[in-house]
Formats: sequence, structure tokens, C-alpha cells
Amino acid sequence: MTTVPGQLIWEIVKRNNSFLVKEFGNGNQSVQFSKEPNNLYNLNSYKHSGLANKKTITIQPAGKDQSILLATSKTKQQAKPASLLHKSIMKKEFNRMAKAVVNQVAVNYYRPDLKKAALARLSAVSKSLKVSKSGVKKKNRQASRIYGRK
Amino acid sequence: MAAAARPLVTVQALESDMATDGASLPLPEVMKASIRPDIVNFVHSNISKNSRQPYAVSRQAGHQTSAESWGTGRAVSRIPRVSGGGTHRAGQGAFGNMCRGGRMFAPTRIWRRWHRKINVNQKRYAVVSAIAASCVPSLVMARGHRIESVPELPLVVSDSAEGVEKTQNAIKVLKQIGAYPDAEKAKDSLGIRPGKGKMRNRRYIARKGPLIVYGTEGAKLVKAFRNIPGVEIANVERLNLLKLAPGGHLGRFIIWTKSAFEKLDSIYGSFDKTSEKKRGYVLPRAKMANADLARIINSDEVQSVVKPIKKEVKRAPMKKNPLKNLNTMLRLNPYAKTAKRMAVLAEEQRKKAKKEKLDKKRQPITKEEAAKIKSASKSWYKTMISDSDYAEFDVFTKWLGVSQ
Repeated sequence: MTTVPGQLIWEIVKRNNSFLVKEFGNGNQSVQFSKEPNNLYNLNSYKHSGLANKKTITIQPAGKDQSILLATSKTKQQAKPASLLHKSIMKKEFNRMAKAVVNQVAVNYYRPDLKKAALARLSAVSKSLKVSKSGVKKKNRQASRIYGRK
Repeated sequence: MAAAARPLVTVQALESDMATDGASLPLPEVMKASIRPDIVNFVHSNISKNSRQPYAVSRQAGHQTSAESWGTGRAVSRIPRVSGGGTHRAGQGAFGNMCRGGRMFAPTRIWRRWHRKINVNQKRYAVVSAIAASCVPSLVMARGHRIESVPELPLVVSDSAEGVEKTQNAIKVLKQIGAYPDAEKAKDSLGIRPGKGKMRNRRYIARKGPLIVYGTEGAKLVKAFRNIPGVEIANVERLNLLKLAPGGHLGRFIIWTKSAFEKLDSIYGSFDKTSEKKRGYVLPRAKMANADLARIINSDEVQSVVKPIKKEVKRAPMKKNPLKNLNTMLRLNPYAKTAKRMAVLAEEQRKKAKKEKLDKKRQPITKEEAAKIKSASKSWYKTMISDSDYAEFDVFTKWLGVSQ
């Protein structure tokens, strides 16, 4: 498939696509979110878009506990959606994973402008996995009685 | 970017195929046409008006009375009122849009212009654009189709799919080529329409699944695939924009059969060659041959002529007041330095002289000096008197009243 350039795709997609979420509300409406899988910040913008860029990064929880899926898209195979992504599942401690992410994203010049975003997402995802493992914190709603005060 | 080398598209083989090399087909030129969502939107909205059925209010509605106005003088408003007596209806207002039981404002008429005519070339442009858009995975995903497991876009399937007779096998085919998740999505999305459409014979709505385009007339696959929810079929020779870009949005997921794919070139022609089926039609040219801005900007041809980036930002220096700041004054007027110096020196001189003078004055006068001064003033007084004795004025004698 001839490469339809990312900017063209972005012009078509930015106003309207099936992943677009426009939150309704005073503070929120100015932000537009996007639910695509390859969007690191989930923001609807050219830089972060998973649709308009040839090189995209995705960090998501993989099925099993605590493992995280890191996937980058291959630049050559743009027309083959099934084989588009380099997937790798990581199940190490956080520092190691962070190093791996930085290596993939920045050190080999893949998308150095997304380094911060990738790390941020990594920490968010791994935190959520930890939380889901140990259960959501149960807030003690019962008012505690103070003895001795009558 | 003359498409000298046309990328190849592999034909997906189905199970029942002989193990021949799944052939590759070159990409037809249609898929390189410019993608124009604006044209597609426009044409789509106009084409969808063409299947409308007229609606209107009855011509006689509100007028089936012989109402007449009672005129003035009866303490009622002047709208026509129903004549006669003996019912509630007598004396009620009629005919007006504000009256109960009157006709509406601007009753809808059946001769409203329901259908729209669109230029043939525009229609073709839209179809061509929609076909081109269906080859871009991003656009298809953006429209909402599930194509994560599709091996390649555009998806071409060998002709054995055209011979599929049973719907069961049809589903198997979809699964093999990775199109099933999309069809599943359509099936799951079946729901009851919100709103009055429910009672107007539009009860159910569902998402759209893949569109299957076949090449040979009377292929069996039509009957096999048509019952699968969400899946639609079309013949290459008769492609419908309403199917290619549902809702006016580009990027339907299309599954082509091999013969359909091969026919595309002859139906739509190329950018230089006129099409065989549509007389004199040539694919539309894009405004920009190469739309990849990033690549153009970073290309050697552009970069070699471009001035280097200015990394240091030149900021304006703060303005200093020359009257207060010596160095800025000197920058503007170098003579100021010497002028100032002269002024300073002169001032010093003056001061010194003044000081001396004052000192001298403040010193008590010596006796000799004092005596000198006194004698000088005495002699001056004497001369003054002797001078004033002068009485031989020529002109002023009368005046002065000098007594001789």
C-alpha cells in the first residue's frame, strides 16, 4: 500500500473517529481523548495518535498478573494489520522494565519524543496492576467512636 | 511520485485452495487516488437524499370548515370562526396556524425537492476516494472496524470464495482471513433503535461489518454471505458510495475477491489511461503528488537550499537611559566624555576661585588696608562735592534754578 502520509491521515481523522472521546464538562471539554490502543497518553493529538503515525508505541497490561505488554509498530509493514506490531511481554521488576522501555523508545531513536509518555504510562499501568492484585483499598467508612468523650 | 513501481498485494488462499503460490497482484491505480473526505461527505449526503419518500400533510387539513370571521364589534378576536350551532365546534377559531384544529404554518408539500442531482464526475470521484481510503489501515480502524487480525489491507481473497454456497462455510472463510472479529462486532451490536424510528419500521440498528466485493456475475457467495449480520455484498461493476463510505465516513472494511480486484483497473482506469468501462474517465489527480510533508522537508533537495537553523535566540537588550547611564551616553555621543571632563574641571576652578575670594573676604582687614579704604572714601566724597559745585550747565540752567 502506498504510504498515505501521516499528516493526511491526521487531517482526516482528527475531527472524527471511533476512538474519539470528548468529555462533556466545564474543565474537561477542552481535552479530547482517544481510545486507540497505540496511544500513550490517550490524547487526541497528532504526536500521540496511534492512527496517524508510522511508528507507534503501546504499553498495556497483558493478561496474566503483573505482566505488561510492550509493542512497537513496524515501519515497513504498514498495510498488514495482523503483523504490524512487535509485541513483547515483560514481567520484571519496575526498574528493569523502565530501562527496557527507554531502550526501545529513545535509545535506538525510535521515537525519542515519546520517552516521557512511555515511562509515564508504564508506571500508571504497573501501578494499576498492583492495585488490582491487592484489591482496591477499602476505605473505612464506619465512623470511629472516640471513647471517653461524652 | 509517478507510481512506477506498484506494490504487490498478496492473495489470501483459503483452505480448499490448491497449494499453488498464493499469487500476488499489483495494486490497482484506484487505490492511489486522492482521499477526499469533503467530497465523499458532500456526495454521500446528496445521494442519500435520493431514496427518500415524500411526506406531507393532507392538502385539505384545517380547511374543511366553512368558517367566517365575525368581524369587529362582538368582543372577540377576529379570526374566522366556525359557523353553525349545536356543537362545541361552533364558534371556535379555524383556519389559522394558531387555532386548535386549524392548518399548520406552511403545510408540507409533496413537491418539495426530495432528490438531488450530483454530477457524474463528482460521484465517481467520491467512489474512487472511498476505495482508496479502504486501503489505509488507520482510516479503516478509525471508522471503527476491527481489523487487528487482518493479514493485509487491501484484503484480497482467492476466487474460491466466490463459489462458497453455505453460510457455514462463509463464516469459516471469514474466520480464516481474520475478518470475523468485525462481523462479530456487528452481530453483537444489534439493538433496538432509540426514538420513534422504532415504530416506523426501523426498529433495529447494528454496526456495519465487512463489505465483500466480488467480480463474477451470479457468484454463489452472494447467497452464502448475505445472511451474516453486518456483512454486505457488492459487485465490482456496481459499487455504491453509500456502502463504501457509510454515514459519509471513509474507510469501510472491504474484502475483495481476486477477480474483483483484477477488474478494478479496467473499470476505473489509471491516472493516464482512460477507463474501459467508463468512457473517457481518468482518475482524478491529487493537488500534491507527494503529500508526505515531513519527508519533503527533510529531503536532501530542500535541506541543501535551506538556511541553517538559528539556535540562539536574539533577545532585545534592555534600553538604558543615556542621561543616567554614562556608558550608553558615550555610545551615542563620544564627545560627552571630554565635555563632562571640561565641565568638571571648570567647576573645580570656580569653586577654588570662590573659596579664595570668600576666604579673603572673611579675613579681617589689616589696619593699613582699612586706613587706605577710609582715606579713599574721604577723597571721593570731596571730589563728589566739588563736582556738584559745577554750575555752568549750558542747557539745564533754567531747569536747575541755579542761582548765579
